[in-house]
Amino acid sequence: MPSHLATFIRWLLVPVVLVGAAALLYVIARRLFKWNGRQSLGLALVSPWVFGFLVFTAYPLLYSFYLSFTENNLFGRTKWVGLENYIRLFTVDIEFWPSIRITLLYALLSLPIGVIGALLIAMLLNNRIRGIGLFRTIYFLPAVLPEVAVALLWRWMFNSEVGIINYVLSPFYKLFGIGTPDWFGNKDFVLAAFIIMSVWGIFGTNTVVFLAGLQGVPRALHEAAEIDGAGAFRRFLHITVPQISPVILLQVVMGMIGALQIFTIAMFVRPTSAAGKFMNQLVYERGFSQLDMGEASAIAWVLFVIILALTLLVFRSTPFWVHYESDVRR
Amino acid sequence: MASTHAMQRRAVSPYRLMRTVYRAFIYVTVIFLAVVILIPFFWMLSTALQEEGDIFAWPPQWIPDPPMWRNFPDAWNAMPFNLYLGNTLYIVALGIIAELASATLVAYGFARFRFPGSEIVFLILLATMMLPFHVTLIPTYLIWQKFGLLGEFDPLVLRAWTAWGPFYIFLLRQFFMTLPRDLDDAAEMDGANWLQTFVYVMLPQIRPALLAVAIFGFRGYWNDFLGPLIYLTDMKKYTMNVGMYFFMGGVNEAPQWNYLMVMSTLIALPVLVLFFIAQRYFIEGITFTGIKD
Repeated sequence: MPSHLATFIRWLLVPVVLVGAAALLYVIARRLFKWNGRQSLGLALVSPWVFGFLVFTAYPLLYSFYLSFTENNLFGRTKWVGLENYIRLFTVDIEFWPSIRITLLYALLSLPIGVIGALLIAMLLNNRIRGIGLFRTIYFLPAVLPEVAVALLWRWMFNSEVGIINYVLSPFYKLFGIGTPDWFGNKDFVLAAFIIMSVWGIFGTNTVVFLAGLQGVPRALHEAAEIDGAGAFRRFLHITVPQISPVILLQVVMGMIGALQIFTIAMFVRPTSAAGKFMNQLVYERGFSQLDMGEASAIAWVLFVIILALTLLVFRSTPFWVHYESDVRR
Repeated sequence: MASTHAMQRRAVSPYRLMRTVYRAFIYVTVIFLAVVILIPFFWMLSTALQEEGDIFAWPPQWIPDPPMWRNFPDAWNAMPFNLYLGNTLYIVALGIIAELASATLVAYGFARFRFPGSEIVFLILLATMMLPFHVTLIPTYLIWQKFGLLGEFDPLVLRAWTAWGPFYIFLLRQFFMTLPRDLDDAAEMDGANWLQTFVYVMLPQIRPALLAVAIFGFRGYWNDFLGPLIYLTDMKKYTMNVGMYFFMGGVNEAPQWNYLMVMSTLIALPVLVLFFIAQRYFIEGITFTGIKD
């Protein structure tokens, strides 16, 4: 309890400091930059975020880059070691490449399933049928379930001895003469299990976003195309997809970034480490179990560069497939 | 006249038939998928109510017989979850209040004020949504170490004052942007200063967005695992999720599945209830920004 109270007092002090800082910034903007009142007020209003960004994002980002070239065990001194962390990771570390492999494969395989699946579900829910409100609620449930519960539930359902997934699939195993797989215990099945789990993510938020996108497609476009004799599939391909392509872009980018950062679920599912650990798990382990902050930072930066590169790649591809309503060719 | 009518009807009926088949197909698919979604939920509850011996029955037992309601108090009392619930709610409350207050002001600033460089600042804010959390994790940890606040709740709640959820700022800003300028102008004409305009004119208008942020904030803090895992070292300060992690047992221990499903159900319950009460705001928040979590 005393530590709750101490935290509470510090929690009350922070906004006081922030308001003070904002007021100071306002005065500086007016006097030094000669900004007018509204401009200075604007700066003062967004200043809490700016301070937070500088202290908790910009500085840590650069600092972790620096740390990745050092040896730091949290308590001793930070020692500059140059590229040693990276060289060790890329050449001798036995966990690093498997970790990149499983993280990338998981993201690249689950992403198309997630985006296309969510789009199809949204189209299904866009039909005017009886009880659609109830169905939309049910379809949203998986997104509401906390990750911890999702992970434990799936781990239980994938249980090799008595899990219901193996129970449901057992006729197929018999048909094809294969043994009952130990999903999270066998390294050949881990990835498949994670991808099956990710299908669960089709339902929920992505679907809601797509549904909103679909409802924004003007009916007139569909009707005009129908009169011109375009079938349902062609209308989907040439009207629906271009119209909602900005939404698809958003889903692809956010979905990819999310998938590459998978952590909580993996920690609770606890798959066999023979298949490799996801990169964020490796960051956590090296940093907070082995207290090797330098190496953990290096892994985090490799992940960051991967995310950055893939995101840029997606954005580079947008002129070929994303259609903006107010598109002005420049 | 009559003959043309008959011809028309004959011409229409295959189309009608196709429509009926199509609608039947939609219904069957929608219902089938709904069942697929509900089965895991049912299975979670079913396992939670089973006796330890029945869990490993083969074929799996769908309806627990008899239902072991005692599992709920037993699982809850197997660890100090009362304490953990209190800690979690404490973090959730401080986090949401700070987040709401700061994000609303910052969003208002971005929506209604321009200053040299404000567009660039907003672009940077959007870009931080793509920044992987783990890349800033270790230096942030070292910052809190320097402050001497490792092991305290502070690292989990103080930062909320700096409006650290770019998603919330974006959502609130989008809402502010939809409000007509005339509102501000009228208030200013009546002699209100910016704070009065903000509190009495703007805030009541964006109540749905505030609720959406509160709901997402609740979910975010309730579901947070990594933060409490690294910052809270004292067993007495654990949150529900960290408690769950240790409740799960070591790497080579066989988890007690009925108890784990009890706890999963209980952890999911507040978020599920919140969703049922405030579904509209949940969905509105998502569709307004197109972004989740």
